[in-house]
Amino acid sequence: MLSEWLSRLRFAVFRKQRSEVDDELHFHIDRQIEANLAAGMTPDEARRQASIAFGGRERTREECCEARPGWTVELVLRDLRFALRGLLRNPGLAAVAVLTLALAIGANSTIFSLLSQALLRELPVRDPQQLVVLDFGGAPDGHTHSEGGDRTGHQHEFSYPMYRDLRDQNHVLSGLIASAIATAGAEATWENHAEAVDAEMVSGNYFAVLGVRPAVGRLFTGSDETAIGANPLAVLNFDYWRTHLAEAPVVGQPISINGTQFTIVGVAAPGFRSVVWGRTPDIYVPITMQKVIQPDFDFLSDHRSYWITLAGRLRPGVTVEQASASLNLPFRALREQEFASSKDQSADARKHFVGASRLNVVGGAGGFSPMRNDLQMPLMVMMGMVVLVIAMAVVNVASLLLVRAANRVKEFSVRYAMGATAGQILRQLLCEGLLLGLAGAILGLAIAPEALRLLIRWMQGNSGDVSAFTPTLDWRVFVLTAIAMFAGSVIFSLAPAVQFWNPRLADALKQQAANVPGGSLRFRRTCVALQIGFSLLLVVGAGMFVRTIQNLRNTDPGFATGHLLAFQLAPELAGYPGPDVAPVEQRVLDAISGLPGVRAAGATNDADLVDDNRGGDVYVSGYTPKPGDDFEAELPWVSSCYLQTLGVQLVAGRLFNASDTATSLHVAVVNESFARHFFANPTDILGHHFGRPNRKGTDAVVVGIVRDVKHTSLRDPVLPTSYTLFQQAERPTGLVFYVRTWQAPDAAANGIRAAVAHIDTRLIVNDLSTMNDRIDLDIFPERTIALLSAIFGMVAALLAGIGLYGILAYSTAQRTREIGIRMALGAQRGSVVSLILRETLVLAGAAVVATIPIALVATWAVRSQLYGVSVTDPMVYAAGILVIALVAALAGFIPARRASAIDPCRALRTE
Amino acid sequence: MPPSTDLLQGTLDLLILRAIANEPQHGWAIALRIQQVSNNVLQIGQGSLYPALHRLEYKGWIHAEWGASENNRKARYYSLTRTGRKQLETELENWTRLAGAINLVIQEI
Repeated sequence: MLSEWLSRLRFAVFRKQRSEVDDELHFHIDRQIEANLAAGMTPDEARRQASIAFGGRERTREECCEARPGWTVELVLRDLRFALRGLLRNPGLAAVAVLTLALAIGANSTIFSLLSQALLRELPVRDPQQLVVLDFGGAPDGHTHSEGGDRTGHQHEFSYPMYRDLRDQNHVLSGLIASAIATAGAEATWENHAEAVDAEMVSGNYFAVLGVRPAVGRLFTGSDETAIGANPLAVLNFDYWRTHLAEAPVVGQPISINGTQFTIVGVAAPGFRSVVWGRTPDIYVPITMQKVIQPDFDFLSDHRSYWITLAGRLRPGVTVEQASASLNLPFRALREQEFASSKDQSADARKHFVGASRLNVVGGAGGFSPMRNDLQMPLMVMMGMVVLVIAMAVVNVASLLLVRAANRVKEFSVRYAMGATAGQILRQLLCEGLLLGLAGAILGLAIAPEALRLLIRWMQGNSGDVSAFTPTLDWRVFVLTAIAMFAGSVIFSLAPAVQFWNPRLADALKQQAANVPGGSLRFRRTCVALQIGFSLLLVVGAGMFVRTIQNLRNTDPGFATGHLLAFQLAPELAGYPGPDVAPVEQRVLDAISGLPGVRAAGATNDADLVDDNRGGDVYVSGYTPKPGDDFEAELPWVSSCYLQTLGVQLVAGRLFNASDTATSLHVAVVNESFARHFFANPTDILGHHFGRPNRKGTDAVVVGIVRDVKHTSLRDPVLPTSYTLFQQAERPTGLVFYVRTWQAPDAAANGIRAAVAHIDTRLIVNDLSTMNDRIDLDIFPERTIALLSAIFGMVAALLAGIGLYGILAYSTAQRTREIGIRMALGAQRGSVVSLILRETLVLAGAAVVATIPIALVATWAVRSQLYGVSVTDPMVYAAGILVIALVAALAGFIPARRASAIDPCRALRTE
Repeated sequence: MPPSTDLLQGTLDLLILRAIANEPQHGWAIALRIQQVSNNVLQIGQGSLYPALHRLEYKGWIHAEWGASENNRKARYYSLTRTGRKQLETELENWTRLAGAINLVIQEI
C-alpha cells in the first residue's frame, strides 16, 4: 500500500509528457495498420479497420490523463483558475464582496474569540472535564466574602474548617481544592521595589489536583498547608514572572508580602492563571497564610466566615450525581455540628441552617466563574449582532453575484453551446463563491487579532489591570470561521443558480434568453427585503445600546465625578500595626489636602460606583422592626471630609467636622433613604442611636442627614446608607482616597505620590486613576456593547446601501426599454424617478413593517442589558426607520436618476 | 467471429499482468496476445487498454520503458515490477477461487 502511494507521488512530481502518450498511441495504430496490410487489406481499409478497432483516440487520451495521480487536484485548480479569471474581469465587484466578507468574518472572529474564552474554553489543566465545582444551599449565618456569582440556594463560598472536613471525609473525589483571591491586593517587595499584586490563596493540593506543572522550581504540595501562618511560601504566576521580574532566577529567593518574608519555591506553567476564570493572580500563597494577605480578617479558624471557593476532581468512574449524593452525607453532618454552637437554637433557625442545607456538585470543564456569569449575556448579545452582520454580508454578496450572474446570461449560453453541462456551470459558480469566501475569511482572520487586541485594551479603559481576555484566536474560532465561510459561500454562490434554475434551464439559456426568468424578480425582492430587515434590526439594536450608554453617562450619581481622583492605600499591607493605621491615613489626608491644586480630600473603605459594597443589618434606637423586616444598609467608614469632597449635600443636622475624633462621641450621618425607612419624617432620626446588632463598638449617634447619592454603580438604585468615621470604627482598614482637584485631575497625580512617599516610602499608592476612568471600567460591558452595536449598525446601513444599489441599478437597467416606452408616451423625468423610488420605498416599507415585531422581540430578550430606555422606545425605532429610509432612498435615487436620463429613442432600440 | 464477451470488472488488470508476466510487451502486443490466447473470445477495446496500463504504471505494479519494437520502431514496453508480480499471484489466486466457486454453483443447480 505504501509503495503504491510512493509510486503515485513519484508520478505526481515527475509528470509524464503529453507527447509520450501520443507517441504510444500512434505506434499502436501504425502497428495495427501494418498488421492489417499484412493480412491483405488495401491501405485505406487497413487504416479504417485500425481506427475502428482502437475506438475514440481522443477519448483514450483523455482517459489516460484522468488516470494520472493528482488529476482531481488539477481539475479543481483549473476550476479555481477559471473562477479567478472570472472574478478579475469585474475587480470592483470582487473587491466589494471580499471586503464585505472580511468585515463580517473579522467581526465574527473577534467577538467569537471573546465568547470562546469566556464561555467555551476549558481550563488549561489536566483532564478538565473531570473537574466539579461545589456550592451549597442553606443559611450561611455569618460573614460572607464573595466575588459574586451566587444565587439563592447556590453560595459558592465555604469556610476553611468546612473545606478541611469535606476534603478529608470524601471518597468520591481524587482531590478537593480551595482558593480565594485577595481583591484588595497585596504588596510584594522585590529588590527594593514595591508594587501591588493580586494574590491567590490556595490549598496545598491546588496545583497537584489541577495537574498544573511548574515552569521553574516546584509548586505547592499537601505538606505546604500545615498550620495557620506556618507556610510562608510563594509560587509566581508565569506572566507576572516574565513581565515584572524579567524571568530572573527566583527559586529560593525571599519575597516580602505585606511585611512578611516569603520564599519563592517556583513559577507555575505558562498559560495557567486560576481555577476561577477571570482571576488574574500574580502570585500564589498557601491558604494558611490568609491572615498575612488580608490583615483585616481572621478567617482560617472561623466556621462562620465564608470566603473560599471549592473545586474537585472526580475519581475515575464516579459520576457527578454519585459524588453529590456521597458528599451530602458528611456535609449535612458538619452543618448539624456547626448549628450546635449557634446562638439561635430555635426551630426556625434550625430549619434554615440545617434543614435547607444541600451541597451541590456541578460538573463543567470551565470551572466556576462570577465574571463569566456577568459577561454571558453581553457576549451573547454581541454574538447575536455579529450573526446578523454575517447574514447581511451573505445576502449582500449574494445580491451582488446575482446582479453579476444576470449580466452573464450570454456567457453561460455560450458555454452551454460549447457543451458545458449544468453541473459544470454550477461548479464554476461555486468555485467563484468559494474563492470570494476564502479571500474574505483570510483577510478577516488577518485583521481579527489586531481588532481583538484593540477591543481588549479599550474594554480595560485607562486602568492598568490585567485583562482576563487574551488577544489570541483559538481553534474554535478557526473552525467557526471555516464553517461560516463555507456555508456562506455556498449560499451566496448558489443564489444566482437558484434564480436561473428551472427544468428547462438549458433550453432557456440555449435560446439565449435576454428576458430573465420570472423567479428572479421575487428573488431580488427577497434580497432587498432581507437586507433592509437585517439592517433595521442592527440599527435599532445600536440605538438601544447607544441610548443605554448615554443614559448611564448622563445619570447623575448625586455628586460630580469630574475633577475627582481616586487611589487605594492600605498601610497594614505595608506592615503598619493596627493602632498606627488610622493615624497614618489621617496624615496622608492632611498632606494631600494641603497640596497645591487640591480642593479637598476624603477617604472611605467602601469605594464608590465600582460595584463595591460593604453593608449589613442595623438597628436604630426607638424603632422596633416589623416581623420579616430584614433591612440592610450600606455602611461605609469615611473620613471627616469625605462627604464634602464628594459634594454630598446636607439636608438636616450637620456633617462630620474636625471636632469628631477617634476618642470623641461616635457619630453617624445617614442618607434620606436610610432615615425614611425608620421615620415618616426623616429628620426625626437625628439624635437616635444606630449600630450593628450584637456589636457594641458600632453604636453611634445620628447627627446629620444627607441627600441620596448613588453608590454601587450608576445602574443600581440608591442604597440606604449610614456613614460613620473610620477613626471611630471597630478595626483599622485600608481606604480609598478621593481627591477633588481644581485642574485636570491627572496633574495632581505626581504631587499625591510624592506626598505619600514623603510620609513613608513603604506606603504604596495603588490604582491611582480618575473617578471617570473607574466608572468606565465598571461599565465596560455596556460600553463595549454600545461601541460594537454602533459600529455594526453603521456597517449594516452601509452594506444595505451597497446591496440595494447593486440590485436597483441592475433591475433599473433591465427596465431600460419599459422606461423608454413610458417616456416616449410622455412620461416626465420626474415621474420616472418617482416611479422607481416609489417601488423601492414600498418594498422597504413592507420590510420595515415585517421587521418591527422581530426587533421588539429581540430587544425584549436583551432588556436586562438596557438602562433607562424602554423596549418600545419610539425615538429609537423612528430613528432606525429614518436611517433605513434614507439609505434606501439614496440607493434608489442614483439608478432612478440614471434611468430618467435615458434617451427614449435609444432605449427603444436596446434589446 | 464469436460474439465478444464483456470483460468482467477488474479482470482487465489481471489479463494485462498475466500477458506481460513472461517478457516485456508493448501495448499492441498485449492486446493481440490476449485476443489470440483466448481464441478471439476476449476482445478488449484496444483504446481502453491504455488508461488501464497507465493506471497500473502509476500504481507501481508495472514498469514502462521505451525500446525498439520488432519492426524497429520506438515502442513503450511494459514489464512487471516486484509488487506487480506479487499482485499477479494474489489476483490469480482470487480468480481461481472465484472461478471454482462459480463452477461449483453452476454444476450444483
